[in-house]
Amino acid sequence: MSVEMAYRALTVAAMIVLVALSIACLARCIRGPRISDRVLAVNMVGTLTIIMVSGFVVALGEGYLADIALVYAMISFLAVVVLSKVYTGIYRERKHEEARLAGRQEEASKP
Amino acid sequence: MMAWIRFFLTAALVIAGLVICCIGVFGVYRFRYAANRMHAAAINDTMGLALCLLGFAVSAPDAFTAVKLLLVVVFMWISAPVSSHLLCRLEVETNEERAEYMTVHEHTLAEERALAAAAQTQIEAQKGDEQA
Repeated sequence: MSVEMAYRALTVAAMIVLVALSIACLARCIRGPRISDRVLAVNMVGTLTIIMVSGFVVALGEGYLADIALVYAMISFLAVVVLSKVYTGIYRERKHEEARLAGRQEEASKP
Repeated sequence: MMAWIRFFLTAALVIAGLVICCIGVFGVYRFRYAANRMHAAAINDTMGLALCLLGFAVSAPDAFTAVKLLLVVVFMWISAPVSSHLLCRLEVETNEERAEYMTVHEHTLAEERALAAAAQTQIEAQKGDEQA
């Protein structure tokens, strides 16, 4: 058994495990009762994808894939920041609107 | 011989990292609340990623690629706490039944919400001025 074959077996096994874990995270993302569970699951899928891309660095022997892993790390971080900010903003806006509507109803029912 | 030593080092590190990733994903299913699940997901982001990438860096095609893989680990170690913090803020902000499993400084939160509401009112007033 040569070293190349051993590397091939290792990377293929690692990819299979990582894909299974990503699918488990996706199921969490679909099931997650709250929006924070879903964003969390997206973050985990991003981390597992970074591991997969760096696995391809070894599997294919191509150095430039490390750059892709670095960019992917930045994009997945940005996705979490943007999603959490957006959902906080949506929630606050809805609360604000509800409070305004409640105030208007009280005014109408007073005299 | 050298190639085999590198292979076994890589295999040991990557398998350890994958085991830790499995523990993280298992934890996400075991815990009940989002803020607890964040703890399990952080295992994945720090130790699982670090061990796997260290393993792949050992048998990277050249030294510069190995340094870049370690840079990914450094970046994730800086960015994972920040994203966890933002996620926890989202959870505290939007979960109205949060009192059943976490304690929050309600006073500080109320002040922050008042500031945000004031900013929102100001924006709406500006919009009204522009329309008029």
